[in-house]
Amino acid sequence: MNIIKIQQLVDSDGIVFLSYGGYLSQTLISGMTEALELEAKEYGITMNVSNNLFTIFIELSQNIMNYSKAVESDAKRPQGLIVVSKDSDYNYYIDSQNIISSEDKEKIEPKLLEIQSLDRDGIKKRYRELRRSGHNTHDKGGGIGFYEIAKKCDAIEYDFTKINEDRYYFHIKTTTITKKREN
Amino acid sequence: MENLQIQATKYTPEIALDLKGIISLVGKSYPENTFEFYAPLMQWIEEYFKNEPAKKTVVNMEIIYFNSSSSKLFFDFFDLLEENANEHEIEINWIYDEENESAEEAGEDFIEDFEKLDIKLVTK
Repeated sequence: MNIIKIQQLVDSDGIVFLSYGGYLSQTLISGMTEALELEAKEYGITMNVSNNLFTIFIELSQNIMNYSKAVESDAKRPQGLIVVSKDSDYNYYIDSQNIISSEDKEKIEPKLLEIQSLDRDGIKKRYRELRRSGHNTHDKGGGIGFYEIAKKCDAIEYDFTKINEDRYYFHIKTTTITKKREN
Repeated sequence: MENLQIQATKYTPEIALDLKGIISLVGKSYPENTFEFYAPLMQWIEEYFKNEPAKKTVVNMEIIYFNSSSSKLFFDFFDLLEENANEHEIEINWIYDEENESAEEAGEDFIEDFEKLDIKLVTK
């Protein structure tokens, strides 16, 4: 293993404190959230922006924990990649990638397409409608996770990369602008 | 029926349910299994209103940040309170730091969603 190479990658891409490519557990997510709290404190990120950042991080990492699939079987495999990075203006980016089934892709993609078509007020309205209706309350979430993320970041990008007939890499990237209120 | 106390963890709030009519949730909320984690709270509230609730029930909620399934759970929690709001006096304080705009907005949304509930926004 070339740890210098990893260090160079971390430095050049502004990956300052978190990058994890293994199995995710609740304890680990909570520990990484604590590291994010320290980062936010160190760089004086406002309470509102930092709380939004924590929520996005938790939402994405719990998605990996709850929905990731193994490639060759139907087993759940809470494994994925989650990376928090920042640029020189202290804008924060959270990238997450994990393997999902094509069935889950069918559920996720329409939500993301809808989110991309809505403005901020539209997203907030839809979030409340979905929360009220209680539909899609399968599994562990409330079916409103992506709307929660969209409410709390400034931009979302995503892509699906096919692995085989029934498996895709799902990558999502959120942008959080930290200094927009300063003139 | 007895009082119920649940200690806070790094990802779940401290919960204190007192038969004198004081209910409080303080901390962060992103459990691994949200609905399971909050089941004792929901059960206690149902029992409480079925039995002999205090003349006035005060709910103090101070949640710093929370995941989307907690958001859904809080909605269900308020729904349960609203079912009892005709017969019982219930006051809800949604408490947040004044710099925490997301928490304020979450409180405002709950106020709009539950017109029958007396939800007050309280800044620290």
